[in-house]
Amino acid sequence: MTTAARSITYAWIVLCAITIGSWWLAPGHSTHAATPSVAITTAVVLLGFVKGRLVIQYFMAVNTAPRWLKLATDAWLFTLWAAVLAIYLY
Amino acid sequence: MTITEPQQPKTDLPGDGHMWFMVLGDLIIFGAYFIVYMVQRAMAPAAYLQAQQHLSITIGVLNTLVLLTSSWFVAQAVRATATADYERAIRLICGGGACGVLFIAIKAYEWTTKITHGYTTSNEFFMFYYMLTGVHVFHVALGILILGIVVRELRNTRRRRLSMVEQGATYWHMVDLLWLVIFGLLYVMR
Repeated sequence: MTTAARSITYAWIVLCAITIGSWWLAPGHSTHAATPSVAITTAVVLLGFVKGRLVIQYFMAVNTAPRWLKLATDAWLFTLWAAVLAIYLY
Repeated sequence: MTITEPQQPKTDLPGDGHMWFMVLGDLIIFGAYFIVYMVQRAMAPAAYLQAQQHLSITIGVLNTLVLLTSSWFVAQAVRATATADYERAIRLICGGGACGVLFIAIKAYEWTTKITHGYTTSNEFFMFYYMLTGVHVFHVALGILILGIVVRELRNTRRRRLSMVEQGATYWHMVDLLWLVIFGLLYVMR
């Protein structure tokens, strides 16, 4: 297996682990009424950023792409999640 | 003694510029949808959170794992094509497409149960839920069609080429990337 192929598998493992971990954070459990949580929402934003970056870097292979594409994708990702958090906290 | 130039890391645009133009455009359009959703949510956070509780996180997690796995298949197919292992690339892309079909089936089941329980577009959160997941699932269906075209081209010994597989993969990963945001905003955040 090449280094790139191995990196894709490692990225997939981390992405799945974060996704399974987020099951406990979500409000969709019928056992109790959900309460708002700045901590959980901040965690969702940070983990969303990390997951998005893993997809862009390793699945989309932007880690070996030209600089303009790295900057464009990072700018989209950062602006989106920063705006989500800012609107939530406002 | 010879002096060697420091080696520049190799850069390579995956796919071609036209596909990236479309993907970046789509990301910006979806980004605008997500911002509008957040602004509307901020106006009635308690009502949104209460409605969010009616989504099944188990189905959300399951669908995310299915789509992540489809992306793993498609990303590995690009690597297989790069090493001229076309048979393996075709099998991997078919695996990715099958996960895409499974995603749509799970989504259809989720929609059916929600509609049966009376969660329709009359609720503002569910209006966003149907709109965002509906536009997204349309992209999944288009992605499956694109993967089908990639398989057809790979089977043709004269037409198979890496850039075409990379273009299909770039589109498919965009579908995955957008779902990760939808999952975070609709299913997990509070």
